[in-house]
Amino acid sequence: MAHAYTPGLKVTNRMTYSVIRMLPIKGDVMVKVGDNVNANQIVAATYMPGDVYPLNMANLLAVPPKDVASLMLRKEGEKVEKGEAIAETAGLFGKFKKKYNSPYSGTIETVSDVTGQVILRGPDIPVEVKAYVTGAVTAVNPEIGCTIETDVAFIQGIFGIGGETCGPIKFAVENCDEAISANNISEDMKGCVVIGGARISVESIEAARKVGVVALIGGGMDDQDLRDFLGYDLGVAITGSEKKGITVIVTEGFGDITMASRTFDLLKKFEGKEASVNGATQIRAGVMRPEIIIPLEAGDCEEETEQVGGYLEIGLPLRIIRDPYFGMLGTVSALPSEPHVLGSGSKARVLEVKLSSGESVIVPRANVELIEA
Amino acid sequence: MRIRNILAVVVAMSMTCFAAAQSPSPAPSLVPEPPTDLIVADTPDDAGNSVEVHWNLSESDVFNTLLSDTQEVNPQQIVATYTVERKVTDGNGNEVSDEDASWRKVSEIGAGESQWTDRSVNLGWSYDYRVCAVDNQGDKSTWCNASGSVTPVMQMFNMSKAWLAIWMLLFGAFIAYFINCARSGKKLWVRKIAGLEAIDEAVGRATEMGRPILFVAGIQDINEIQTLAGLTVLSRVAKTAAEYGAQIEVPTCRSLVMAAARETVEAAYLAAGAPDSYQPDRIHYLTDEQFAFVAGVTGYMVREEPAACIYMGGFYAESLILAETGNHIGAIQVAGTAMPSQLPFFVASCDYTLIGEEFFAASAYLSGDPLQIGSLKGQDYGKFLSVLVLIIGIFFATTISMTESDESDGFGAGALNYIQNNILGNEGFGSFGGGDTDIEGDDS
Amino acid sequence: MTIDLENINVILATDCGSTTTKAILIEKVDGTYRQTYRGEAPTTVEKPFANVTIGVTNAVTEVGELAGRQLTNEDGTIKTPASDSDGCDMYISTSSAGGGLQMMVAGVIAEMTAASAKRAALGAGAIVMDVISSNDKRRPHEQIQRIRELRPDMILISGGTDGGTTEKVVQLAELIAPAKPQPRFGSEYEMPIIFAGNKMASGEVEATLQEDWIDLAVVENLRPTLEQENLGPARDKIHDVFLEHVMAHAPGYDMLMDWTDADIMPTPGAVGNILQTIAKKENINVVGVDIGGATTDVFSVFDETFNRTVSANLGMSYSISNVCAEATMPNVLRWVQFDMDERQLRNRVKNKMIRPTTIPQSLESLIFEQAVAREALRLAYKQHKEFATTLKGVQQQRTVGDTFSQQTGGNTIVDNMKLNLLVASGGVLSHAPSMNQTAMMLIDAFEPEGCTNLAKDSIFMMPHLGVLSAVHPEAAAQVFERDCLIYLGTCIAAKGLGKEGKPCFSWTLSGDVATSGTCNFGDIELIEMGPKETATIVCEPARGFDLGAGNGKKVTHEVCGGTVGLVIDGRGRPLGLPEERQQCQQTIARWVENMALYKEMEEAVVSA
Repeated sequence: MAHAYTPGLKVTNRMTYSVIRMLPIKGDVMVKVGDNVNANQIVAATYMPGDVYPLNMANLLAVPPKDVASLMLRKEGEKVEKGEAIAETAGLFGKFKKKYNSPYSGTIETVSDVTGQVILRGPDIPVEVKAYVTGAVTAVNPEIGCTIETDVAFIQGIFGIGGETCGPIKFAVENCDEAISANNISEDMKGCVVIGGARISVESIEAARKVGVVALIGGGMDDQDLRDFLGYDLGVAITGSEKKGITVIVTEGFGDITMASRTFDLLKKFEGKEASVNGATQIRAGVMRPEIIIPLEAGDCEEETEQVGGYLEIGLPLRIIRDPYFGMLGTVSALPSEPHVLGSGSKARVLEVKLSSGESVIVPRANVELIEA
Repeated sequence: MRIRNILAVVVAMSMTCFAAAQSPSPAPSLVPEPPTDLIVADTPDDAGNSVEVHWNLSESDVFNTLLSDTQEVNPQQIVATYTVERKVTDGNGNEVSDEDASWRKVSEIGAGESQWTDRSVNLGWSYDYRVCAVDNQGDKSTWCNASGSVTPVMQMFNMSKAWLAIWMLLFGAFIAYFINCARSGKKLWVRKIAGLEAIDEAVGRATEMGRPILFVAGIQDINEIQTLAGLTVLSRVAKTAAEYGAQIEVPTCRSLVMAAARETVEAAYLAAGAPDSYQPDRIHYLTDEQFAFVAGVTGYMVREEPAACIYMGGFYAESLILAETGNHIGAIQVAGTAMPSQLPFFVASCDYTLIGEEFFAASAYLSGDPLQIGSLKGQDYGKFLSVLVLIIGIFFATTISMTESDESDGFGAGALNYIQNNILGNEGFGSFGGGDTDIEGDDS
Repeated sequence: MTIDLENINVILATDCGSTTTKAILIEKVDGTYRQTYRGEAPTTVEKPFANVTIGVTNAVTEVGELAGRQLTNEDGTIKTPASDSDGCDMYISTSSAGGGLQMMVAGVIAEMTAASAKRAALGAGAIVMDVISSNDKRRPHEQIQRIRELRPDMILISGGTDGGTTEKVVQLAELIAPAKPQPRFGSEYEMPIIFAGNKMASGEVEATLQEDWIDLAVVENLRPTLEQENLGPARDKIHDVFLEHVMAHAPGYDMLMDWTDADIMPTPGAVGNILQTIAKKENINVVGVDIGGATTDVFSVFDETFNRTVSANLGMSYSISNVCAEATMPNVLRWVQFDMDERQLRNRVKNKMIRPTTIPQSLESLIFEQAVAREALRLAYKQHKEFATTLKGVQQQRTVGDTFSQQTGGNTIVDNMKLNLLVASGGVLSHAPSMNQTAMMLIDAFEPEGCTNLAKDSIFMMPHLGVLSAVHPEAAAQVFERDCLIYLGTCIAAKGLGKEGKPCFSWTLSGDVATSGTCNFGDIELIEMGPKETATIVCEPARGFDLGAGNGKKVTHEVCGGTVGLVIDGRGRPLGLPEERQQCQQTIARWVENMALYKEMEEAVVSA
C-alpha cells in the first residue's frame, strides 16, 4: 500500500445531511413525506409501556399461588388506582376477608398461577421524538420514524458530553487560539450555542451552565477539568446521556489545543444562525462523534469544498495527534517508504512533517491526521 | 502495820505458789507453755473490717516444728486449742459497751494453727489482743500479749490484685482501641469462618433446588447463651433466605424459643425488604421432650428433604441423629455448638462446623458492627497475652524440672514463682525473685 | 460435510475481526502442516461496503499473491479444491466483526446456575452484557428496566436443578417477557432465547415466553444437580443460534457461510478451542490472554477445566481511560521509573482513547503505555480468578481431620504454581519493540509462580487454529507447535515474601546452559538461553519460599529457552512495590536494568 489512510473528522461547509429519527417502540409518526420541519418540532410520539411492579400476591394474601387468580377483584387488563383493593381472600364463612390494596396505579398485566405473582404495569410514559434538525421529511417508516434531510454545514467534534440540543451560534472569543474563561460568558448567551477558541476550563462550563447556554464548543479541554465537571472519572468513552443541562464539545482533543482555524472560520460564517448540536460520542465499533449541524439557507455556500480524509501526499496539511508533538500543525514534507525505528524502539512507517514553526520532525503515519487548509 | 500484814500475806502466797511448782507433788496442775510473739496487724488490701492475728506456737504444741525430735512434750501439757481474746481500747468516737471494753474471748483455734483473721472488727476502732494455749484439761497457759493495739484501716486499692488490674486495663485498652479502629473505618481482619461464609451457599442451594432450609436452634431454652447465639445466626440465615426467596423452616423445642425465633425471622425479612414473604407458621413449636423433638425433626427431614440444614445452639445426644439424617438426604449442613462432646459428631457429619468460640464470635462476624468486631478483636489480643504468660510459665517450669536444680533461688525459679504468685496469684507486685514470698495454696 | 482429512494439503483460514480480516495459509510441507503465508485487509462489515466477503476476498488475494497461488475465482469466491498450483482444499473462518456475539444470561442464584450460564455463554465466545439473578440485589422492576436497556443478540436462561425450583425460573421468564428487549438487528428480528434450566419447569417457561418476537429453544439443564455442570448442550445451542440468527443478520455472512467447510466460530470461542486442545494433548495447565483495544480476554485451562472471561472495559485504546480510572493513576505510575506530570498524562490517556489508532513514538510514552498494559492485564486476571472457581452450592465430604481446615466451596481453580504455559497475544504484547518487554509485562501482571513457560502468539493465529482443531485436530496441533507460538523463555519465581537483599533461593543450571547462582529477595535476573535450548534447573529455596515443591523444599524443573531466556525472579509473590515513590522508582529502574528492557531501544535511538 503506497498510501496510508488516516482518520480525519468531517468539517464541511456544505453537505446533504440526513438523519433518521426513530421511536424506541412503535408509535405515531406525525409528519409526512415532503413536510418541512423545524428542529424543535415533534415528529413522532408514542407511549412507552410503564414501569413494572411485580406483587407477590400469594404471599401477600397467604394463599397458594394457584388460588390467586380466583381471588383477584381486578382481572388481567383492568386499570387500577393506587389504594384500590385488587384482591381479597376468601375468608372464613364469608367473614374475616382480607383485602389487598394496590400500592401503585396502573394496569394489571398478568396473574401467574405458578408463582402467585401479579404484574402491575404503571401508567404509560410518553415518548416524543423531535426533528433535531430543520429540514424536509424525505421518508417515513410508518409507526417507527422518519428521515429528515437537509443541506447543512457540518462539523464533527472529537469528543463531547451531553445530548441533542439546538440554538443560535454566538461567539465568546475573537480568535481561534483564545481560551475561553468564565469572563467570556455573558447573560445574553442564554439558549445559545457558544463557541470558544482553545481550551475550555471547568469554570467556563459552570458559568455557561448558570447562564443557560445550551452548548459550549471549544478546541480542547483538560481531562482534569472534565473530571471536575462530571464529578467522576470518565472511563468508557460512551457519552451523550449525561444530564448536566449543557452539551460540551471539543473539536481537537484533550489539553490546551487551538481549534482548527478552518472550523472556527466556518462557524464564524454562521454566527447568529440556528445550529443543532449533539455531544454523544461513542468510540467503539460503530464510531459516533459529536456533531454541529447548521442548516443552510438558499444562497449559503453554494460551492462544496473538498472532502477531508484520504491519502497522504507531500504538501498536504496535517495535525500530529500524539505526543511528543501533540497538536502541532504542519505539512507532509517526505514519505519514506521504509519503516523507521522510533524513539520507543518499535518499527513503523513514518512521514516527515514540516511544522509551522519551520522545524522538520519524523512521526509515525498512525499519529497524524489530515486537515484542510 | 496493816501494810506490813498485807505484804506478808502476799509473800506467803507467792511462796506457796512457788513451792507448789517446785515440789514434785503427785497431782501437779501443769499448764501448757504459752504461745509467743503475738503480732496483730491490720489486714492489708481490705475494706478495714478485719485484723490478722499471728503468734508462734507454744512449745507444748506437738505441731511446733521448732521442737527437736528428742524434746518430748508432757502429755498433760499438750496444747489442744488456742484462745484469742480481744478488748476494745478506742471506739473511734462510738460508745463502747463494757463487755467489749474488757477482755473477751473472740475465737478458739485448733492446735497447730498460728494465725487467725478477726473479721468482726469495726473500721477505725482500736483493739488489744492476747492469746493463750489451752490443754486437754482446760488448763490455760499464761497470756501472751500483743505489743500494742491495732486499728483496722481501709485501703483504697487492693494491691494484691494489682496484676489483675493491669490485665483488666490491658484488655479494656485493646477493646477500646479496636472499637475505635473499627469505628474510624479501618478494616479489621477477622479470620474467615468457613461455616458462616457457607450460609449463602446453603441458602442458594435450597433456592436452586426449590426446597426449604431447616434451622434448629438447639434444644435448650431461651436463657441459655448458646440458644441466643443460635438466634443471631438465624437472623442472618433468614435475611439471606428472604433475599433469595427461599423458604425457612424452624422447629423449636421450647415455646419461648419459638416466640424469639419468630421475632428474629420477621425482623430479618423486614430488613431484607420482603416482609410479605414472612410466614410465621413455618416457625413452630414441636415438643419439650428431647427425643420426641428429634423424631419430629428427622421425620420432617426425611419427608421434605430440605436442601440445607443448619444446627446452631446447644445439642446433646440428638446431634448425630440430626446430622446423619441430614447427610443422608444430601443437604448442605452447617452446625455450631459449644458442647465439646457433640463437636466431633458435627464435624464428621456436617459440611461446616462452628466450634465453640467461633459460634459466639458469629454475631460479631455476621453483623460487622464496629462495636462487636472491635471487642472481638480486643478479646483476641487479651487471650493471646494470657496464653503468652502461660507459655512463659510452662517454659520456666519445664526448664526447672529438666535441670533438676534444687536451688530454688535461681532466676528460673524466681520467675516461675513470680508468675505463679504475683502475676497469676494474689501477691500483688511484690518483689521479684523473692525467696521470702511463701507459696500459698491459692493459684488462680 | 465430510472431508477426507488424508488428502488435505492446503488449508485457508480467515478471521474477520472488527477492524481487520486476517488470512493465513497452511500447507503440507514434507508431511507436516506448516503455516506459510499470511495477509490482511480491512474488514468490510460496515458501510459503505456492508459485505464481509469483500474484505475476506481482499485478504485471501493478498495471501494468494504472496504464495504465488490463485486462491480466488474470478467472482471473488474461494477456489476449491486445490490443484498443484492453485486453490485450497479447505476454507475455514472465525468472526468477531460487528461487536461479536452479545448475550444476556439469567439464572436463579448468581453464584450457582447464573454463574454456570455465564460460563456457558463465555465459553461459546459470547460477550456477556449482564447477568440477571434472583439475588443480584436489584428489585424486579430494576431488573426489567435493565433488560429493556440492553440490546442482546441472544438470551440464555438457566435456573433450578432438575426437579428443583420452578417458581424462581418462571419468575425469570416473567421478567423477560414484559421487558421485551430490543435486538440490535431491528424489530423484525426474533429474539432467540435458550432455556437450559430445570427440565420440570420448561413447560411453564414455554408458556410464559409464548410471544411472537421470541424464538425459544429448550436444551438440557446446564446444572442438572448442583454437583454437576453440563455446559455442552447449551454451548452448542448458542453456537447454532449464533450461526442461524446473528450471523444471518450480519451483512455478507450468508455468503461466507456457504464458502466455509466448517461452521464459522466466534473468534474467542475458537481461541478457547485451541487452548483446550493443546492443554489436553500436552497435559499441561495453560493461561492465554488477548489484550485488545477495547477488551481483554483471559482463557485458562486448569486440570482440563476451561474458563474464559472477557473484561469488557479493559483495553489499550478505546478502554485505556477506563483502565486508568479503575486501576487509579498511582497504581499505573508505580511501574514507571521516572516522574510524570499527572495532569498532562490524563490528557494523553484521553487523547489515546479518542484517537485509538496512534502508536507511541517516544520511549517515555511507550513505557507509560506498557505500565497501563500491566494494570489492565492484572485487573483482567484478577477478574478471571474470581470467576474461574469450583462449583458452589455443593455438599462437602468431611472427616474429623478437617476440623480446623474447613474450606468453603467455590474457590478459584487458577493456581499460578500449577501454571505451565502462559500465552500472550494482542497488540501491546505482541508488537512490543522488545520481547523482553513482553515477558516482563506478563510476569508483572500475572505473577507466575514456580516454573512457567512464556510464549506469545506470533501473528494471532490461535483463532484460525481453533476452528481448524474442530475439523482437523492433527493439522492444528502441528501448526500450533511449530509456527503459532514464539517461546519467550521460562520464568522461575519463588512464592513468599522476605526481606530485601536476603537470599531467596539458589539455583544450578545444567544442560545446554550450565551455570549457577543465588537470587536475593527483590531481585530479578535474566540468563541468556536461546530458543530450542533446554536445561535442568535445581533450585533450593530459603525458608519461607516455595518454588513448587513446598516451603523451603528443593525442586527440579526442566526449563527451555527462548528469545528472552530464563528469568530468575526473586521478587516474591504476591509481588509488591515500595509505597514510597522515590524508592519505587529506584526499584523499577533496577529491574528494568536487570531485564534489559529498554536498552536496545536507547541504543537504536542513538544509532538512528
